[in-house]
Formats: sequence, C-alpha cells, structure tokens
Amino acid sequence: MGGKNKSVLRFSMMLLLSLGLVLSACSGGNNQGAAKNDNNGQAAGDNVANGVEPFEISVFIGQPDQQPTPDNKIYKLIREKTGASFKFEFLAGDIDQKLGVMIAGGDYPDMMTANQKLTAAGAFIPLEDLIEEHAPNLKKHYEKYWNMMKDPNDGHIYNLPNYGVTNADVTSSWYSGPAFWIQKDVLAEAGYPEVKTLDQYFDLIKQYKEKYPTIDGTPTIGFEILNYDWKNWGLFNAPQHLIGHPNDGGVVVKDGKAEIFADKDYAKRYYQKLNEMNALGIIDKEAFTQNFDQYMAKISSGAVLGMFDQHWNFQSAEDALITQKKDERTYVGLPLVFDEGIRDHYKDRPALNLNNGFGITVNASEEQAIRIIKLLDTLIQEDWQKILSWGIEGEDYIVKDGRFMKTQEQRDQFTDATWKLANKADSFHGQAPKMEGLFSDGNATDAAAQPEEMVAALREYDKNFLAQYGFNSYVDFFSPAPENDIAYPAWSVDLVDGSEAKIVNTKQNELSTKFLPKAILAKPEEFDSVWDEYVSEIRKLNIKAYEDRINEVLQWRRDTWSVK
Amino acid sequence: MEETFVKDSAVRKPKTNKKITWAVLKEQRQLIYMSVPLMAYIILFAYVPIWGWTMAFQDYKPARDFSEQTWVGFKHFEFLFKDESFLQVLRNTLAMSVINMILGFTTAIILALLLNEIKKVVWKRTVQTISYLPHFLSWIIVTGIVATSLASDGIINDILMKLHLIKEPIQWLSEGKYFWGIVGASHVWKEVGWNTIIYLAAMASIDPALYEAADMDGASRYRKMFHVTLPGIKPTIIILLIMQVGHILEAGFEVQYLLGNGLVVDWSQTIDIFVLKYGLAQGNYSLATAAGIFKTVVSVTLLLIANGVAKRLGEERLL
Repeated sequence: MGGKNKSVLRFSMMLLLSLGLVLSACSGGNNQGAAKNDNNGQAAGDNVANGVEPFEISVFIGQPDQQPTPDNKIYKLIREKTGASFKFEFLAGDIDQKLGVMIAGGDYPDMMTANQKLTAAGAFIPLEDLIEEHAPNLKKHYEKYWNMMKDPNDGHIYNLPNYGVTNADVTSSWYSGPAFWIQKDVLAEAGYPEVKTLDQYFDLIKQYKEKYPTIDGTPTIGFEILNYDWKNWGLFNAPQHLIGHPNDGGVVVKDGKAEIFADKDYAKRYYQKLNEMNALGIIDKEAFTQNFDQYMAKISSGAVLGMFDQHWNFQSAEDALITQKKDERTYVGLPLVFDEGIRDHYKDRPALNLNNGFGITVNASEEQAIRIIKLLDTLIQEDWQKILSWGIEGEDYIVKDGRFMKTQEQRDQFTDATWKLANKADSFHGQAPKMEGLFSDGNATDAAAQPEEMVAALREYDKNFLAQYGFNSYVDFFSPAPENDIAYPAWSVDLVDGSEAKIVNTKQNELSTKFLPKAILAKPEEFDSVWDEYVSEIRKLNIKAYEDRINEVLQWRRDTWSVK
Repeated sequence: MEETFVKDSAVRKPKTNKKITWAVLKEQRQLIYMSVPLMAYIILFAYVPIWGWTMAFQDYKPARDFSEQTWVGFKHFEFLFKDESFLQVLRNTLAMSVINMILGFTTAIILALLLNEIKKVVWKRTVQTISYLPHFLSWIIVTGIVATSLASDGIINDILMKLHLIKEPIQWLSEGKYFWGIVGASHVWKEVGWNTIIYLAAMASIDPALYEAADMDGASRYRKMFHVTLPGIKPTIIILLIMQVGHILEAGFEVQYLLGNGLVVDWSQTIDIFVLKYGLAQGNYSLATAAGIFKTVVSVTLLLIANGVAKRLGEERLL
C-alpha cells in the first residue's frame, strides 16, 4: 500500500514538473507585461510633488538611432514641466522584418512612427476626434493640411506628419534633395564655369579625370552610381529630372496624368550617355556590385568626382571629408537638364510629409492616448518649439537685438553627435509635429535657415567658392521652386501591399536593377539590343495597373485636398 | 562504437517486436512519464503551428480573427507556380543546393581522412581548430570578406595578376556564371572544418583491431583508408546524406541575398529571396506560407525516397 502511494506521489510530482515547464513557457509573455507595468510605476514615482502627473510613453522610432543619455537636459525639462518621460526603442535591422514581427504579435508600444504596413494592420487609432477635443494648438497647426492628412482608404487621420507644415517660404542654406553632384575642385579647376547640361557635366569630369588619374593615391572615379537594396534612385530617378520634372519617384506627371518613364526615349538617352561614359572608363567598374558602405567609403576617400544622389543620403560621407579638412573634395549639387532650354525643377517646395511622423497605437489606453495628444499639443507651442529646435537661451544660443545667433563654440557643439545625445531631443523632435518657417518674432525655426547663421557657418573655402559664382549659398545653383501641383508628390502614394500595382512595381524595379547595369556596361554597339530587350520585358508587365493606382490617388488628392 | 551499435540492435530486434500490452506499459511507466514534457514540447511547437498552414489558403491579414479572413483556395500557389521567374528561382535553388551538398560532403570527408592520418596530436588539433573557426562567423561577415577579396583590388585578383594568369582584374561578382561557384566555395571555406567533426568522431570509433589486421596483411596507408576507414564511416555518411536530401530546397538565403546584385540576379535569386520580395516584404504572409508548404512537401517526399533507396541497398536508414 505504502509503495503504491509513493509511486502515485512520484507520478503527480513528475506531472506537475512537466506541466510547470510547459506553463512557464506559455506565460512568458504575461510576465513581461507585468514587468513593464512595474517599470511604469517606478517612473511614475519620480515627481508627483511638482503637481504634474508623471507618466511614461513607450515609443518606437522606425530608424536606427542612439539612446539619449539618461540625464539629457531637454528630456529632463519635458519631464519636469509636463510629467512625460519617453522610453525609446530604435530600429535595429530591417524595418519590414521588425514590423512584421510586431504586427504578428500585436505587440506595439504607445506611440510609433508611421508606416503603411502598420496602418493596414489597424495598429493606429484615428486621431481626428482626439485632436478636436483635447488639442487646440495641434488643430491650429495642421488646419490648412487637415484634409491632406486623411488616409485615402478610409478618411481617418492616423499620423501627424513631421515635416511640411510651413508658415513662410524657408530658404535653408542646405539642400537635401536629389541632384547631380560634382566635386568643388572639378569646377574650380575649370575656372568656375556654369554647368547646365548633362554633356557639359561629363565633359568636365572627363577632363579632370584625365588630368588627375589619382587623388591622394587612390585611382580617380569619374562617376559613381548606387543601386543597393531600397536605395535605388541613384540609378533609377535621373531621367525625370533631366527633362525638367520634379521628383515623383517612378513616374512623370504630365498634364495631371502619371506615366512611368523607365521605358521612354529620354530615359534611353540618359542611359546611353552612361554607356558611352562607361566605355571611356568614367564610371566605377564596381558600381553595380557595391553595397552602401562601400559606396560611402569611396566618397569619403575624396576620389569620386560625381554622382547622382540625394544629399541626405551621402551627407555623412561628406561630413567625413570636412573632418579631414578636404573642403575642395566636398560637393556642389547641380540641377542638370538635357538641353539648355529646359528649366530645372529639382528643388521643390516642401510637401506635407505624409506617412511619416507619430501615430498612437491601439495598445495605448484611452487615458494614455489623451495624455499623449495633450503632450504633443503642449510641445507644438512656440516656447517649446524654440527649446526643441534652438535649445536653451544662453546655453545653446544667444540673442542679440531679438535675433537668435550662436557662438562658434555653440555651432561646433551642434555638429557633435555625442554632445547632442545629452543636450538635444532630436530622436523625438525629428518625428514630432513641428513649426517650420518663422517664429512670431521673425527668427527662423531652424538654425540652418537663419540668415546670420547661414553666412557665419560658411567655411573660408566655401565663401571664396560662392563668391566666384556670386551666390550666397549652394541652394542658389537651383532655380527657385515653383508652386507644387496640389497632388504632388506622386512618390508618396501608397500602392497597397500585395496589390497588383505593388507587384508590378516590384517587378519593374527588378527588371531595371537587372537590365540597366547590363545596358550601361554593354559594349556601345550592343547597347541598343539590350535596351530593346529591357523595354519589351517592361511592356510585358501590367504597367497600367500601377499607373492606374497612382492616378486614382492623385485624383483623390485633387478632389479632397483642393477644399481648404 | 558504430559496429557495436549495429550488433546490439540486431540482438534487440525481436524484443521490440513483442506486443505492447498494458503490463509492458505499466512496467515502463517511468519512461512514459519522462517522455511527457518532450511530447508536449513537440506537440506545442511542431504540430500546433501546422494550423498556420491555413493562411496559405486565405488572403491573410494580421490582427484579424480567423473567422474574418477571406478564403481564396489555391490562389497563392497559382501565383507562385505561374510566375515566370519561379522555374528560374527553383533551378538556382536546386543547383546551389546540389553544389553545396557535393562540395560539402567530398571536402569534409577528404579533410577528415587526411586529419585522421596525422599522427602528431598538436598539429592535428591546430589544423582542426583553424579550419572550423569560420563556422562561428555569421554570413554577413563572411560575405563581407568574400566581397572584399573578390573586388577588383582584392586578394584574389592580386594573386591572379601576380601569377600572370589574367591581364586585368576579373569582376567576379558581376558575372552570373561565377556566382554558383562563389557561393559553393564560400560554403566550403566556412563549413568544412565543422563538418569534419562528426566524421572524425565516427573514425575514432573504428575498431583498432581492423587496422592491425590490415597491417598484418601488408596493407598500405591508402589501402587502409579505402578499405577500413571509409567503410567504417559509411553508415554515418549515408545518414547525413539522407538528412541533407531533405534540405535540398534550402540553398541558404543570406549568401545569395548579400552577394547578389542586379547583374547576377538570374543566377542568384533563390526561393527564399523570392518569398521575401513578394511575400514578407509586401505583407503577403499567405504567399510566404504557400511557399513554405511547397518546400516542406518536397522535403518530406525526397526524404522518404532517399530513405527508401537506402533501405533497398541494405544501408543504414533514418526511419
């Protein structure tokens, strides 16, 4: 009898143990949730004394960045004044993968940067009622843009665009967009000529490369092309600009109708030119096998004479050149066209940065959502905007006769990444709603757009360089931007994941990635046959589905956005 | 050990054929209890997820209930098989997989045989350690090393130029015809040392008496390698081959994704990359699932066939 009891006991013990194992595996998620809550509680304990109720907002930022230091002075100020503290998670690795996992688990923080995948998965809550009810300042901020912010699929507002809400025509000294870039020394060597067309551009590069086959010991690279992963514009986008159109992504909008340009004759003209240049050895042999890091390394070496790219994309490589004191190896953006008669349209008026900026997720409780929207409402006010953009008066900038300025030391600090982690709230401010243009006292919202700062920040080399052209800044190389078409830009149209339009677009990009390098690297006499094959492959696709989707959304924008 | 194992199972065979009765179950109840957690683990993590296969027959949207999904039948399979590039993608996958398998097996077995012949322990250990260290590098690093060595100013071109075998640097990564070879070679460099370990273990268990007998008969070193060592590890080789056949549609993903580019896409795109582009990257999880089912079905079929062939030939089997 006793023996049997023992074995029963043993049995039940074993069962319990195995059950425990299984259960502990299952309940991992719950424990985590509990731990998180604890954390919140702790943060909440910080400063009840101030009269503001402390709370923590978990935030996901869809791009790689660094955590601010724990005692960052701006975040500290926000915590003291509003009670809000942030818990940031930054992207590590691939955004699609990360979001895929988040969506599959429904595991969102309180606030996330916008993404069409998230909106489609129903991760965001509609914001229009919240704003109407709790955020009068935000409402005022976005008033003119209210209809534009609505999702074309269901008419709700899910995200608060971070850029593009301007109250004055800002003339920043820094052009971040696409252009044909050329090393300053190439222009200096040729006696500061005016460069308008593609042919002139390549002639200059050819001459310079012949004269200087190596730069600081590295073989000179005439023209560099980046086509890596999603950074494909270096290869794809130039033709639309050469015929005087602004950046619409994969299409050209002519008389209100969008059509692809990849298979058009003007595209052929551009790639044929590249093909000729390749035969002359101007184009980097490794252009099409390199990854982004290799591309940046080449630019940082100072041996690359030119490329087609967007400024922000290679900015850090240019910064490296400045740090090395190679000012003559930094770049000027040129708005090239095919023929002199065409007016360049590279520089555009800032459009509302749709599908960007913060949204509040379904995981945030109703209270939390209200707290967040109230916080954003507070921070959009001018005094906070000054703090977020310029910093603290006296510490980060000085005021002379009502004008904001910086000392050289303050200017240097603003380019120091380590200093910024402790003294700027850039990871938040970059994504949050913000004022752009001028404050009510006439100062620019962005230091780079403050005229006094623009002049003061120029280095000696650049002052002399610009004087040769009689320009005030490098932006003057571009024609002033005309008024945007109401539906501009077409590149921000959501093609809808998994739809035919999206699949056709993916396939077309795949064809371009395959055939354009082939065409450029082909022997000049074989160019035509490769091009014809490329065009016939493209025509096999249902391009119409892609164009129709874009035109449909453009039309919707014209109908909805025109009403102001 | 291999030999004794075979003998043992031969002796035990009649015993396993004995009918399973309640009495037997009761007698072995501790064993059964002990297997409960493992069974639970397998059911939870291997069988329950099969439920997810239903996604392949729906237009699956995340964050929606099962009842709210739309059923679409074989739409996603059709898209997969009807796509023009699918055959090409399948060809690339199979080709690279077979190349990897053949290269992987032959190099590992040859290296193991050679290592086995080395009498100096220190020397043997050193070679073994150096050859298996790359296994611990991730592919992202390995592809970086490969891309750098194959660049126009990389070590491979440098050596070939110095030897006057070529007149100007070869653009290795922009020629489709080199791609499979590059992938195969990188696999060998990364995995050869690691793969020898299991063969060396098998060799260590060969009865030394066999070598002594061969010595008596005046067998040379090569004879002993062919007639004692190789037959000794044959069962291991066959088991590993059978298992490898099951993975034939997994030619890898990282290598091709990281080394591939527009110029070689006709040779570099594998099923996994195709699924990433048209499935996961587009939020089309259904297509990804359909491709997963296809791969599983092919794998299981091939595994069973290989197992059957091995059985016919009277060799060691997996199942």
